[in-house]
Amino acid sequence: MGEADISSQPVAAPAVELVGITKRFPGVVANRDIHLSVAKGQIHAIVGENGAGKSTLMKILYGMLRPDEGVISVDGTKVSFHSPADAIAAGIGMVHQHFMLADNLTVLENVILGSEPRKNGVAIDFAAARRKIREISDAYGLGVDPDVLVEDLGVGTRQRVEILKVLYRGARILILDEPTAVLVPHEVDELFENLKELVREGLTVIFISHHLDEVLKVADAITVIRRGTTVATVDPGSVTARRLAELMVGSELPSPETRESTVTDVVALSVRGLTVRSPDGRPVVDDVSFDVRKGEVLGIAGVEGNGQAELVEAIMGMRASTGAILLEGQDISHWPTLKRREAGVAFIPEDRHRHGLLLESPLWENRILGHQTKRPNVKGPWIDRAGARRDTQRIVEVYDVRTPGIEVDAAALSGGNQQKLIVGREMSGDPVFLIAAHPTRGVDVGAQAAIWDHLRRARAEGLAVLLISADLDELIGLSDTLKVILRGRLVADVDPASVTPEELGSAMTGAGEAA
Amino acid sequence: MFRNRVSKLAVTGVTGALLMAAAACGGGGDTAAPSPGNTGAGTAAPAAKIKVGLAYDIGGRGDQSFNDAAAAGLDKAKAELGVEAKELEAAPGETEAQKEERLRLLASGGFNPIITVGFAYSNPVKKIAAEFPDTKFAIVDDSAATGPNISNLVFAEEQGSFLVGAAAALKSKSGNVGFVGGVDVPLIHKFEAGFEAGAKAVKPDIKVQKKYLTQAPDFSGFNDPAKGKTAAEGMFDAGADVVYHAAGGSGGGVFEAAKAAGALAIGVDSDQAKTADPSVKDVILTSMLKKVDVAVYDFLKSISDGSVKSGPKVYDLKAGGVDYSTTGGKVDDIKDKLDEYKQKIISGEVTVPTGS
Amino acid sequence: MTTTTGPKDTFLNRLLGRIPLTGWLALAAPVAAVVFAGLVTALVLLVTGNPPVETLTTMVEYGTQPRTMVLTLNSATMYYISAIAVALGFRMNLFNIGVDGQYRLAAILAAAVGGSAVLPGFALTVLVIVVAMAVGAAWAAIAGILKATRGVSEVISTIMLNTIASSIVAYLLVNVVGVRRDNNIGTRPIPEDSWVPGVALVPGTQAKVFGLIFLAIALGIGFHVLLNRTRFGFDLRTTGANREAAIASGVNVKRMVVIAMVISGAVAGLAGMPQLLGASYSYSLDFPAGLGFNGIAIALLGRNNPIGVAIGALLWGFLDNSATILDLQEVPPEIVQIMQGVIVLSVVIGYELAHRYRIAAEQRKVSRELAAPAAVEGAKA
Repeated sequence: MGEADISSQPVAAPAVELVGITKRFPGVVANRDIHLSVAKGQIHAIVGENGAGKSTLMKILYGMLRPDEGVISVDGTKVSFHSPADAIAAGIGMVHQHFMLADNLTVLENVILGSEPRKNGVAIDFAAARRKIREISDAYGLGVDPDVLVEDLGVGTRQRVEILKVLYRGARILILDEPTAVLVPHEVDELFENLKELVREGLTVIFISHHLDEVLKVADAITVIRRGTTVATVDPGSVTARRLAELMVGSELPSPETRESTVTDVVALSVRGLTVRSPDGRPVVDDVSFDVRKGEVLGIAGVEGNGQAELVEAIMGMRASTGAILLEGQDISHWPTLKRREAGVAFIPEDRHRHGLLLESPLWENRILGHQTKRPNVKGPWIDRAGARRDTQRIVEVYDVRTPGIEVDAAALSGGNQQKLIVGREMSGDPVFLIAAHPTRGVDVGAQAAIWDHLRRARAEGLAVLLISADLDELIGLSDTLKVILRGRLVADVDPASVTPEELGSAMTGAGEAA
Repeated sequence: MFRNRVSKLAVTGVTGALLMAAAACGGGGDTAAPSPGNTGAGTAAPAAKIKVGLAYDIGGRGDQSFNDAAAAGLDKAKAELGVEAKELEAAPGETEAQKEERLRLLASGGFNPIITVGFAYSNPVKKIAAEFPDTKFAIVDDSAATGPNISNLVFAEEQGSFLVGAAAALKSKSGNVGFVGGVDVPLIHKFEAGFEAGAKAVKPDIKVQKKYLTQAPDFSGFNDPAKGKTAAEGMFDAGADVVYHAAGGSGGGVFEAAKAAGALAIGVDSDQAKTADPSVKDVILTSMLKKVDVAVYDFLKSISDGSVKSGPKVYDLKAGGVDYSTTGGKVDDIKDKLDEYKQKIISGEVTVPTGS
Repeated sequence: MTTTTGPKDTFLNRLLGRIPLTGWLALAAPVAAVVFAGLVTALVLLVTGNPPVETLTTMVEYGTQPRTMVLTLNSATMYYISAIAVALGFRMNLFNIGVDGQYRLAAILAAAVGGSAVLPGFALTVLVIVVAMAVGAAWAAIAGILKATRGVSEVISTIMLNTIASSIVAYLLVNVVGVRRDNNIGTRPIPEDSWVPGVALVPGTQAKVFGLIFLAIALGIGFHVLLNRTRFGFDLRTTGANREAAIASGVNVKRMVVIAMVISGAVAGLAGMPQLLGASYSYSLDFPAGLGFNGIAIALLGRNNPIGVAIGALLWGFLDNSATILDLQEVPPEIVQIMQGVIVLSVVIGYELAHRYRIAAEQRKVSRELAAPAAVEGAKA
């Protein structure tokens, strides 16, 4: 490790400085050699796609995880956090994405919960607490009334209560984890006003997001994190959304480009008027229609959380939906998941640990998963252990899964090798249609190139692919057709041959219309 | 085959003896000389000391119910007849095979006689008594197990219950009395049937509320004062002013409820006006005495003087095996009437139903 | 890693290698737990003024006598069936607490059918067993259907169904199928030509082992085959290991819940059969209770593995039966219950520690692997 290069250090000691932070986990992208310097009195944004390592970094900063290597300094003093309590003591507070408030208590009670002021060491001093909350609320323009019940508050106000809670505990440095994810646009604007007020009063805000437009609007400095490491710190005044997107997804990575078209005119999968509703009746996928032809990769671009996951689950039959889904002309919209899979729908899930693997089972059993009615895995009602093992060995060799053997548990493999096993599994048995959701997320460069190769080859052999990705280069490079999803609707068609990541990026955020 | 059996018995006998030897080393039973009271009584001249094996049902000594009554009889025999004893108790959920094994261990360890408490020992006693024809067995509360070396000590609980039922009806002002049974089993049905018959003999239109605390195989109803209290409270709220319980350890709760309601309660098995908690003694009208202690003592006495008989010995009113208690003087005014009923039952003029 | 990379035959790799570690730990955890339980028991004995070494020696001496071994095998047979029923649910994260109610309800109805002697000889035996399985399955199915359709936790529903079963059993016994036999009450005895004869498995005693011990062994083998060799078993294990992945793989999880409960209940229905057809021939007030709860403890002890459960059942049977000799020795027999409780607790803790140790070992291993490619890729702006 050694000393970090601190060429761009400001004159005053930074509020927070991370040097060479490394944290390793099995099977996932770790934080690796993180360098971050946050100046006092600034809003510092940290951007990166999901799974890039933002959460790990924040957990380290807030004392929930301990780094394997590296140094954390607060106000120029080296610190070592063993728990969030240490971080709070050092003046660092965290506002979580999901609020941690008790609905049936008042704002006052929620704020003081766990750090109640005592009168004579026994009774709770409500008057003092109320005074202090009013002071903080007025000082930073939060406009919070201490005596209302939390259940009567809107989302934006609840968030301000969370901020107040942190300030009440004496935080000078606030970490906000994806604070805009739960807010509607005007609440976002209010939040940004509050944040600006906070830094005017000398506080420091660390703001985590993957919404580029928001970040450009509010931040004083932006650090980009990709694949577990900090790749750049830029000034929002001198950077474009396009450049930021490039930094986030890494345009210098090997290009997934495929130009000679293999698209046929045979429709493999046809979706008409597909609608998925959330439990409260709101449409999360709204009247979506598209066709995927044999030999075609249809890319769906969009900021995460705009209905992609629900769309995929609806097509897989894992989630109730209305509308029609036709596979090779046959209506499969009322089929159970198993029947869809048997008919040739293959699925590379977005979250492989949750949907794609049995982590504590051997590789050959993972080979069977999702294909438990097909040869060579089974013979009638019986598992064909020899057949499954043989075919797993084949996948390991063809797809270059690096493993000591097929008897090891899936958990022992690195993320890239787990993903190659899944790709190999889903490609076997001649699928008609493949859903590839973030197929190279959290995967190392070598595995990424290999997975792209396999997708291209399968496409050339006539496979229809629905590609969901947050990696713009992957989308532009692999797709024959590209559609943009926003708030559950397909809002734009773009030509992957001519579109730039910048145009795509602005289409995704709904800021402008492309093509 | 016969030889095989004999040799097997020999093997168990020998191992049993070994185990007993080990037990003697580890535990140290009271192997002292016969107590002076024994010779003073002059009822027997024992060549060897009588070693009694006593197998309790679940709960064992200290259950404040019939296991305890049997223990009291044994204690009396220890003091007056100079017997020594080994006491074993059943575990919850055990099988008959495990009960058999308990009796077999006692028999092969040289314990003779062996007394078992509770109908659950019926089959095991029958089987082991056949295996050990020279050992005398007694079983409390069961007449189904028969054999040349088995004495059945059974009680006419319905007769005693009839008398306390009559007492309840005579004392009730509201014309409404209650019965709390520990567990819904045939044995307790006898208490219920006798109580109801006695009450109705006095007042044909009397209302008798009935409640069982638990259903077999949940035998916790015999040892759950909270349940007893709740049940009795319900009865007092519904107008009862005297409640009789046949619920073992749960009876304490019935007494508490009676105290709180300013009403009366009737005890069971032993003279509870003497044994119950002092704070509730004053609510106990009378108790239905079921003299398991007497039966156990009598049986041991008959062993020591050689007069033991096999087959059922019924402890009814006539034999003094069941009765009502007079401690506290609350039934003094109706004693004549109760004794009149008692005579009628003894003479056979009144037949008490048994609830089966 | 493959043949190309990574240090291969180092001591650390052998020590931390997952597969041998798993096997070794899987055995070490329960053994250590039993030893620990023995130590705690010895301590309790010492505190209560009993000689621990002699007491334990006596238990072992008594427990190894042929007759006691037969009793142990007989108890273990019933415990085993009950534990297999529990284990079936556990393997897919279903907590069938209701085995207790299922087997009792099954036993009384099967006993009633047997006592009615509608068929002769062996045909009646088969009918009794089929009725027991059907009743157990039907009773368990209620909890399964409630969970699948209404999302009711099977823990709650099976506990409640246990209570309801108790009341139904008591009602049936007293009012419908029971016949008074002095102070006991039971179903009409099953005719002798339909009994399942015992087998003289243990030399040196005349006591016979339940003939249905072979049914228990068959159930164990069937359990293993079903889980490891069939598609159904794969789906069941998948659902238990990762419910979300099971749904994505096409398993109809709701249907699996119902089917698994039905099978578990059918097996639970058999738990009382060795006693009914091999010893008491009638369901009466003193029919053994609590088999289901012992089954839960034993399934935990044996990690839901058919061999492990068998060992657990034998251990339980041994402890239960050797309690008798303790009583004779003036040692409170409750010491055995303390021992059983401590064993279960320490086994659960032992497995958890082993699991954490394994994960930690794995993290170290993967960390080493991640460290290598980290040097390659390090693009910074």
